[in-house]
Amino acid sequence: MRTSILPAAAFLVPLAAGAVVFAAARLGRRLVQGVVLLASLATAAVGVAMADAVVRGDVLTAWGNELRVDGLSALLVVVIGVVGFLASAYSVRYVDQPDFQKRIGVGRVEHRLSIFYGLLLWFVGTMIWGSVTNNIIMLWVAVEASTLTSGLLVAFYWDKRALEAGYKYLMLLTIGITFALFGCVLVYAAAAATGTLTGAQPLLISEVRGVAGLLPPRTARLAVAFLIIGFGTKAGIAPFHPWLPDAHAEAPTPVSVLLSAVMIKMALYALVRTVGMFLPSWPQISVLAVVLGTFTMLLGIVLALGQDDLKRLFAYSSVSQMGYILAGVGLGTYLGCFGGLFHLVTHAIGKGLLFMCAGALIYATGRRKVSELGGLAAKMPVTGVCFFVGALALSGFPPFSGFWSKLTVYLALAQAGVWWAAVIAVVTSVLTMVALVRPACRVFWAPPAAGVDAPGAVREVPASLWVPMVALAAASLVLGLVPQIVYPFLDQAARVLAVMGR
Amino acid sequence: MILTDLPGDLIRTLSMLVVITSVVAVETRRLRVSATVYGVQALLIVGLLCCFATVNPALYWWAGTAFVTKAILTPLFLFLCIKRTREVELPPLIGFGPSVVVAALLMVGFFRLTHSQVELLAPSPLAQTEAFRTNLAVASTVFVLGLYAVLTRRDAVKTVIGLCLLENGVHLSLVSLAPELSETALVGIATEVVVTVFLLLYVITGVYQQAGTTDTLRMRELRG
Repeated sequence: MRTSILPAAAFLVPLAAGAVVFAAARLGRRLVQGVVLLASLATAAVGVAMADAVVRGDVLTAWGNELRVDGLSALLVVVIGVVGFLASAYSVRYVDQPDFQKRIGVGRVEHRLSIFYGLLLWFVGTMIWGSVTNNIIMLWVAVEASTLTSGLLVAFYWDKRALEAGYKYLMLLTIGITFALFGCVLVYAAAAATGTLTGAQPLLISEVRGVAGLLPPRTARLAVAFLIIGFGTKAGIAPFHPWLPDAHAEAPTPVSVLLSAVMIKMALYALVRTVGMFLPSWPQISVLAVVLGTFTMLLGIVLALGQDDLKRLFAYSSVSQMGYILAGVGLGTYLGCFGGLFHLVTHAIGKGLLFMCAGALIYATGRRKVSELGGLAAKMPVTGVCFFVGALALSGFPPFSGFWSKLTVYLALAQAGVWWAAVIAVVTSVLTMVALVRPACRVFWAPPAAGVDAPGAVREVPASLWVPMVALAAASLVLGLVPQIVYPFLDQAARVLAVMGR
Repeated sequence: MILTDLPGDLIRTLSMLVVITSVVAVETRRLRVSATVYGVQALLIVGLLCCFATVNPALYWWAGTAFVTKAILTPLFLFLCIKRTREVELPPLIGFGPSVVVAALLMVGFFRLTHSQVELLAPSPLAQTEAFRTNLAVASTVFVLGLYAVLTRRDAVKTVIGLCLLENGVHLSLVSLAPELSETALVGIATEVVVTVFLLLYVITGVYQQAGTTDTLRMRELRG
């Protein structure tokens, strides 16, 4: 353990930059975007620096153990930082789109864009704050803060659909998260009552972990139930997922990327951080986690199969993929945690990529329904290749990263003896392939359906949109070809969670 | 901490009034009245916190924050939103008569249940003394009444009032469960709730301007 400035810098940089952006509305769009890019790049760099320290076995702390970065926290910060940077880079040209400007109100563009970017940075900052804090109440505060900062981003277009999505998002998540507050407070009260911790120690997750077995079982059970409902709602775990497709589909695309690729993971992180400490004493929790995980993956993909709207389709697929991560991490074995966290990275890359592709299609054609698109392979080759890479990676197809991460989850489920869950996971993977590759074929290869007028002159999107896409596609391919480059990092992260065997 | 110093009768009276204001806030269909009753409840909660603060001065912080966020800002936001939308709540999913019966049953049933099962929630000896037992029972009753309102009301503004009750329940429980929580955490929790309410009401006003209704059942643009 060593004290470091990095954990505080990781979330204070985007929060401070967000405040600057709010204040700098008059200085023009380009300056605002410059600040955003610089701040998000700095955040990603801090994340990488922390990862570098953590891989060598260090645990970074700050503010008297109030902030604590171990392997798991560092993994989350890197994912949030890197995806946050790519989403900001992607947004630079995306906001120039005539449709985007029309929807946010011509004439007030500068003002509203500064709000957009300010909230975007605060959203990233609050998610990172939640990942690095060691205080269970502050974890709750950060998770709720990330809901509040993203709430207006979801409703940003301020039309009927976006407002409906925004209302559902804020309402359902706040109700859910109130349960989590009750859960966090119960954990704190019960830990304080054990009498082995003094002062502020019962608030610190790293300290409570040590005494989790001493908590009265009935209180702990109640707390676990509340925490699962609370953080599970935000993580999009079925049956608490109904807000997710609306919010992820109606938000502006750069926000959808952040919601689907990182926000739900951060909520899952909060779930495993808090509930995970009870796993050694009550292994039954892992059965519940695997049941919820398999139910989520199956329900998500079945609902995804019926979607025509690309963004809704991807959103439901996110629900399904969260099921894999939960099933893996929830097992509590080293292999399960390793596979689950590996899939967390895979899905952040793959789903970020797919949402960016959907955004590119909207940018180029103004449409987002599969049935209204077709034959775009020749006109948009880069988007087409990226779309296929994302779809195949998430279906677990070699040589992309999804193949290894899903394989690890299957093996972990089989190793733990839950064969039925492994079978459901494999079947869901096949369905994922159908759900994601079929629209890819229709959009890029099949001719447009009869009766649909072809969109006007369609051209490939500008480089500032496709460069982030290609970066994610390349990351997916590299992790598929030489996955061992991330193993040391994943190993450190998995060790934090794994409570049973190595 | 000398528990005999606690004004037991006052706590009991205030607690009963908090529960009754919850039921009234849920059941009345005039939204302004509902918001006003909510404000009254907030003042009662501030009074309760001050009572408990006689043995735990840290709670004066909590009482001050609750006064600003719950008794002033939240009713203010509610009134501003009601002014721009509608004044009478849309009929809920459940009729007035049955709703009062359900609310009363929830109130009595839950109060008794938690009052007898306090050790489930609070394993510390402090929380099992009479005043704190009452506090926890009231907290969980308000929580359940809020949840009931959120689930059965179709008027968006009314669901926000339900949400406020839900939060009040959790916040009241902090008195017994987390008496030593730091000020930053308390202020953080309280600020976030009032920001949530503000954002929700802001979005609801937007929904009313765009769609002409605050009926959550008619928000059906997004399906499938």
